[in-house]
Amino acid sequence: MIEVRDLVKHYRGGDGGTVRAVDGVSFAVQPGEMVGLLGANGAGKTTTLRVLATLLRPTAGSARVGGCDAVTDPVGVRRRLGYVSATTGVPDRLTPREILDSFGRLHGLPEPARAARVERLIGQLGLATCADRPAGRLSSGQRQRVSVGRALVHDPPALVLDEPTSALDVIGACDLLDLLATLRAEGRAILLSTHRLHEIEHRCDRFVVIHGGRVVAAGTRAELVGAGGDLEDAFFAAVAGAGVP
Amino acid sequence: MNALRGTLASTWAVAGFQLARLLTPARVGLAALGMLFPAVVLFAVRRATTGPLERNFGAVLLYALVPEAVCMLGLLVTMCPAVADELERGTWVHVATRPGGRRALVLGTFLASVIWTTAVGLGALLLGVVAGGMTEPGGLIAVFGGLVIVSCVGRAALFALPAVVLPRRALVASVGVAVVVEYLAGFLPAVVNQATVSLRLRSLLVHWMDWRQRIPAQLRLIVDPQPVWVQCAAVVVLATVLLTLAIIILDRRQFPPSEEG
Repeated sequence: MIEVRDLVKHYRGGDGGTVRAVDGVSFAVQPGEMVGLLGANGAGKTTTLRVLATLLRPTAGSARVGGCDAVTDPVGVRRRLGYVSATTGVPDRLTPREILDSFGRLHGLPEPARAARVERLIGQLGLATCADRPAGRLSSGQRQRVSVGRALVHDPPALVLDEPTSALDVIGACDLLDLLATLRAEGRAILLSTHRLHEIEHRCDRFVVIHGGRVVAAGTRAELVGAGGDLEDAFFAAVAGAGVP
Repeated sequence: MNALRGTLASTWAVAGFQLARLLTPARVGLAALGMLFPAVVLFAVRRATTGPLERNFGAVLLYALVPEAVCMLGLLVTMCPAVADELERGTWVHVATRPGGRRALVLGTFLASVIWTTAVGLGALLLGVVAGGMTEPGGLIAVFGGLVIVSCVGRAALFALPAVVLPRRALVASVGVAVVVEYLAGFLPAVVNQATVSLRLRSLLVHWMDWRQRIPAQLRLIVDPQPVWVQCAAVVVLATVLLTLAIIILDRRQFPPSEEG
């Protein structure tokens, strides 16, 4: 469903030089699978996700969602992908219902289907009690749920989340990850970036560790951790062994 | 047909967002000030001239104050931050990852900007006409109402370009565009002024006020003798070209994560 192959993304640096944010990253996420993209700040996680979300164009390589290429068919990718970022960007003055309805309009959903979809999401995301309250008066967890709802409004088969729990407390993060597990059970492919390893250690099916713009380890928890230790130990070992800055 | 309906729906969705954002006490207060400003000036001039303003003199003042000053300022405030606001509020990624989201952002912000500024301009016009105590106010309101709409449509499209090319410096760039394009190139009696909104506004003013035969020969050089429909069509074509360019440019823009927030 989600496929990244030999992805390279360079930026022009402030000093006129080139910043190699992503340098040959490859991985895939299948339907009904939740994959954790792990890495420290500046490892290239956000850039990789943004190329997938068609916000950035790759310097080389490819990013595909549901068979659509992010460069040659960005509209196809956008129809098949929901994107959630750490900064919810939820307009304070609109209610969750209005936000979901507006984004349904942005996707061109016709009226009866749109209203039904919005109601379903409000129920599924546990927003019924605050659906008509301005978003500025919602908790961080509720705002992030609205953000997830906004990403799901067009019922995409793939979901990409960039550090979705970074602004949430433990309970909010746990609730959100439970919700993602439900979405995975519905058959969606979920790619989730984070550097809070303990939150997703036992929730993701596989992990891709990225460091210095390169994949330095990938596999299931059992494959990465081996006989002893935990995911954090495996992460540090992978990063230390990578030999890239 | 479905594509057109989808474009209209997404444009209206973004316009709804933008109008909701504009309905804050601070913005509404600013708009009220914008409405009052021409009335205060016209009232002061009326007091200074001890009596109702002479119709043509009042019309010149109204022209300078409403379709030019008030509309220009309103459009600068509402159209210029089209992209910068999204980047700053973290909403850019959510709009840009929708099919047609970038196009809807340009068109929806344009629509919201035109609706908001036209409302402010019409309010300023009504108050100005009353404060100036002008004769035949109905005719003036019709003429200047038309000019307000033309000014808003043309210039909102003009400011869409700096908004997408230089989002972080759109306001400064738009002021530069207004000065260089509208008030410098627009007054050159050459082909270049055909692509300016200011030429169309002046020409419509002269047509609608029936000043053609009364203005000095030198001033005729900076108005276009073509009929009203040509002036209106020129603004529509200009706005269409500018908005299309803005959409194409925004569709290709990439903003690294460091440029957000």
